[in-house]
Amino acid sequence: MNTESLPQSLRQTISGDLRPVRPLPPVWMRTLYAVAVAAGGLAIVVVAFKLSLRPDFEELPMWLSCGCTALQLIVGVVLVGMALREAVPGRGVPAGAVTLAVCTGVVMQILVGIATWMNSPGMPLIKGHGLRAGMTCSTHDLALALPALAFTLWLVFRALPLRPSIAGLLGGTGAAVTADAINHILCPMSDLRHVLIWHTGMIFGLMLVGWLAGKVWEKKRFGKS
Amino acid sequence: MGVDRKAEEERLIALMIGYQKGSMDDFEGLYAALKQPLLRYLWGFVRNATVAEDLLQDTFVQIHRARQTYTPPRPVRPWVYAITRHVALMHLRSGRRRKEMLAGDQLPEVPVPPEMEKFADKATLHRMLSELPHHSQEVLMLHHLLGMSFQEVGQILGIASGTAKVRSHRALKALREMLAEDQGGDE
Repeated sequence: MNTESLPQSLRQTISGDLRPVRPLPPVWMRTLYAVAVAAGGLAIVVVAFKLSLRPDFEELPMWLSCGCTALQLIVGVVLVGMALREAVPGRGVPAGAVTLAVCTGVVMQILVGIATWMNSPGMPLIKGHGLRAGMTCSTHDLALALPALAFTLWLVFRALPLRPSIAGLLGGTGAAVTADAINHILCPMSDLRHVLIWHTGMIFGLMLVGWLAGKVWEKKRFGKS
Repeated sequence: MGVDRKAEEERLIALMIGYQKGSMDDFEGLYAALKQPLLRYLWGFVRNATVAEDLLQDTFVQIHRARQTYTPPRPVRPWVYAITRHVALMHLRSGRRRKEMLAGDQLPEVPVPPEMEKFADKATLHRMLSELPHHSQEVLMLHHLLGMSFQEVGQILGIASGTAKVRSHRALKALREMLAEDQGGDE
């Protein structure tokens, strides 16, 4: 009955590729997938790098060791969930919520770093070895974050993010905050310079990676410069 | 009105589910149901009926490519309008826009919020509406003309529903002020 209103060219395009599709799972389920991949990646990294808890773990108060890690993990998972929500048309996250969530992730990491430094000096930063220690921590951070980041971005771009750089930024921040939550109880150093340069720096780096991945995808998919 | 809208939304959801299962008839039903409102919405961006028609086709191609991203039983319209808006914005950002000329004889019926119609003639309201910032025009069109809730408007524009409400309120206020100025000037 509606045949005459449908332009012929559009009809051909649609009928040429009308295979049944399965709707995307809901955001919470896709977030759980990302959590599962992140957990698997974490297990592999811990074994591969022979990582162990920081030496002063027992000396740290519970709220600072397990409490802050759990809180950071929750914020990281929420950020990943927001990225996956942003990837679905018509479910865009308001700009205020994006800003608040990203700032919460970064500020929380800095505050946890300061609180840890105030409670326990950890291993001293030996002069001349700062770069080496930093590179080691960055490698761990990166190895912990990359599986979650790659899988989150894959889920994001498998949908149709209309603001892909925002979705990428959220995904990058989420993966980085999640990785830092784990590294918080692994890294033996509390020195604020080390934490701010290498750990906070890695968060900013992964945020940039997510944002850039969104830009590249946008250019590829929509041809936007 | 509310019952009609609910029934219409349920019909769209049923069509979308059928379309996802591979039914061409359901796609055609969806096209027929959405063609006119989407054209009006697109016209609000490009002010050119021919370009709006072209963009409508682009929109349905994008809808087709992204059809798996619709999750039943969520409302169909915020999903469709968000894709439509994106197609229009991408078009406006591209170079094609500059080559288009606005021909007066191809102007479709410019929508006016019903509550404003009693205050002035349509021509005056059309002129004033076009003087509003685009984001205000968009909220007025989506909420007052296409009958979407502020929550749906927020989902389409990627803003909070409260922000959509504030924009609508400010736009109506600005229209009233423009009208008052216009009438003051006539006297």
